[in-house]
Amino acid sequence: MKVIEIKDVEKIYNDSEVQVHAVNGVSLSFEEGEFAAIVGPSGSGKTTLLNMLGGLDNPTSGEILIGGVNIGKLKGSKLIDFRLYNIGFVFQSYNLIPVLTAKENTEFVMQMQGTSKEKRNKRVTELLTAVGLGDRLDSRPNRLSGGQQQRVAVARALASKPKFILADEPTANLDSKSTENLLDIMEKLNREEKITFIFSTHDARVVKKAHRVITLEDGKILNDEIKD
Amino acid sequence: MVIIAVMLGIFGGVMAMGIMQGWIEQRIHASIYNEISHVQIHNPKFMYNEEIQYTIKDYGKITSILDTMSGVVAYSPRVKLFAMAKTAGAATGFTLKGVDAEKEMQVSEIYKNLVEGNFLEGEHRKPSIVIGSETAKNLKLINYQVTQGKLDSINREDFPGEVIDQISKIGAKRFRNENDFKSALKKVLSGNDYKRYANDLAKYFSFYRTRASIAITLQDKEGDLVYPVFRVRGIYKTTNTTFDAMNAFVDREVLNRYTGLSETEVNEIAIISTDNDAGALLAEKLSLRLPEQEVMSWRQLSPELAMYTDFSTLISYIYVIIILFALAFGIINTMMMSVLERIKELGMLMAIGMNKKRVFSLIMTESVFLTLTGAVAGMLFSGIMVAVLSRTGINFSMWSEGFEALGYAAIVYPFVTWQNYAGVTIMVIITGMIASIWPARKALRLNAVEALRTE
Repeated sequence: MKVIEIKDVEKIYNDSEVQVHAVNGVSLSFEEGEFAAIVGPSGSGKTTLLNMLGGLDNPTSGEILIGGVNIGKLKGSKLIDFRLYNIGFVFQSYNLIPVLTAKENTEFVMQMQGTSKEKRNKRVTELLTAVGLGDRLDSRPNRLSGGQQQRVAVARALASKPKFILADEPTANLDSKSTENLLDIMEKLNREEKITFIFSTHDARVVKKAHRVITLEDGKILNDEIKD
Repeated sequence: MVIIAVMLGIFGGVMAMGIMQGWIEQRIHASIYNEISHVQIHNPKFMYNEEIQYTIKDYGKITSILDTMSGVVAYSPRVKLFAMAKTAGAATGFTLKGVDAEKEMQVSEIYKNLVEGNFLEGEHRKPSIVIGSETAKNLKLINYQVTQGKLDSINREDFPGEVIDQISKIGAKRFRNENDFKSALKKVLSGNDYKRYANDLAKYFSFYRTRASIAITLQDKEGDLVYPVFRVRGIYKTTNTTFDAMNAFVDREVLNRYTGLSETEVNEIAIISTDNDAGALLAEKLSLRLPEQEVMSWRQLSPELAMYTDFSTLISYIYVIIILFALAFGIINTMMMSVLERIKELGMLMAIGMNKKRVFSLIMTESVFLTLTGAVAGMLFSGIMVAVLSRTGINFSMWSEGFEALGYAAIVYPFVTWQNYAGVTIMVIITGMIASIWPARKALRLNAVEALRTE
């Protein structure tokens, strides 16, 4: 089942003298449960594409359909609500709320969705245990290592069972051991929860783990490889 | 910082409110219980020139009404006239009030403010008069003498040893006025010691000449001058030096012997009710029942007092508003910094699905919470201070002369009601909310993508 359909999407930035085609006529689709990486050099359009997929930026032309909904037509609070219920984010620098514990950070999105406390507790405990932090529920981010914080961020992104998760350079600030641990966890959760993961990355280890690698250059798809 | 600023601001505002209300409350109480009472009844013609022949008609009927009317706690009939008083050394004028001591003590607290003697107790060959301390001063009935007894009991913490040794050289001479006494002090004390201690020494070594005789000149009801002599057997001192200078009390029956008035002929009935509002209401009811009399409430007798009562709370709140206005800028500054420092975090929150309404209320709630925390701390602190100071009082006696000339006490007991605290709390919450609007709007205008890129 197609979770995401990108149809001939362009993003053009108008600088004072020059037009920049950050994304130039990209068409793609992603199925449920995919574990895909978008790679390319700096300036290839990976982050711009990811931002548009996440509804944080609008395409200049083309369509992005998520679960059949054209997110380009959503505005204001409708777009924000769509993100809340359908898209999970994992950021490069974790972006946990420093005053909340691991548990509270993880359940944050579910709280905004109005999920009951009982359901939240169950889901949060389940996820934090799955990422290996079952004994650190009440730890604040400043008590966790970089790898542990990123695992909490993954748990947070998964907590509300979104349609897919966007991870922008999630391993960029981690050492190799933490990266391996994180990728293993994400792969495991991808299998168990059947949630699509889309990475934007330079990290070869991520590329190695990914089941599909999409290479971008100058805003266009250079290659789209599905591994066996 | 916001919490401390709000705490100090609230403390300042509540204390200022408490002091002002305490001052006004004391002034009102003193005014009503020493000077004007809650209600006064007069013959309408009496109010023009206060001539004693204009007595209240149907006195018996009125007292029957007052004896049974609800809202009347006590009343005192008075004869009231202007008199001149003379002693060997001086003369002055004042309002002489002929009262029934027992009834008068139920409507007035003058008897509680006696500094010498008693309030018209007993029968004497020479009838008694109770005068104010200012009258005693004007009639030179305050003398000054360095007695051994007073030297022995002087507080050596108030006056250094060498000063006490010097003033003992003055000897036991009696001085009839303050200037002469101070001249004597100047001769024995150094310049600095004189400047520093002369007023306090004059106060300490002063004494009232009770049992002095005063010759009074007054007009009887026929308009003829009569010249009774009274003996000073009581001296009072209120917080209003003007009142103290202008009012003296004698027994009504005694005064009637000179004025020719009868037992049922009085110029004024002063009435005390349960409280100030009840007093105003009582005056209205009495006006309707006694249309031929001049019935005045304390609000009419003293319009400035009514104004203080009506506006004191308002003025107190204006002080608090000014303080909160200044605080608002502090809150805006702090919350703006808070938003700018958390741009990335706010970008993340918007990215994961926090809508504008939630972002707005996040900033507002933080601001209100900070402000409220500071306010609660400030009110707790000021509550404790007010509780302590309402017992001990705040001593402004360095400026007592000025205060008492205006009728205000030099020692003020701050006074804050629970309604004041509630009102200030609400104002603080509103201030916090208003002050957080600008920072909250700043947060709303953030672009999630750009915010996430912030270092």
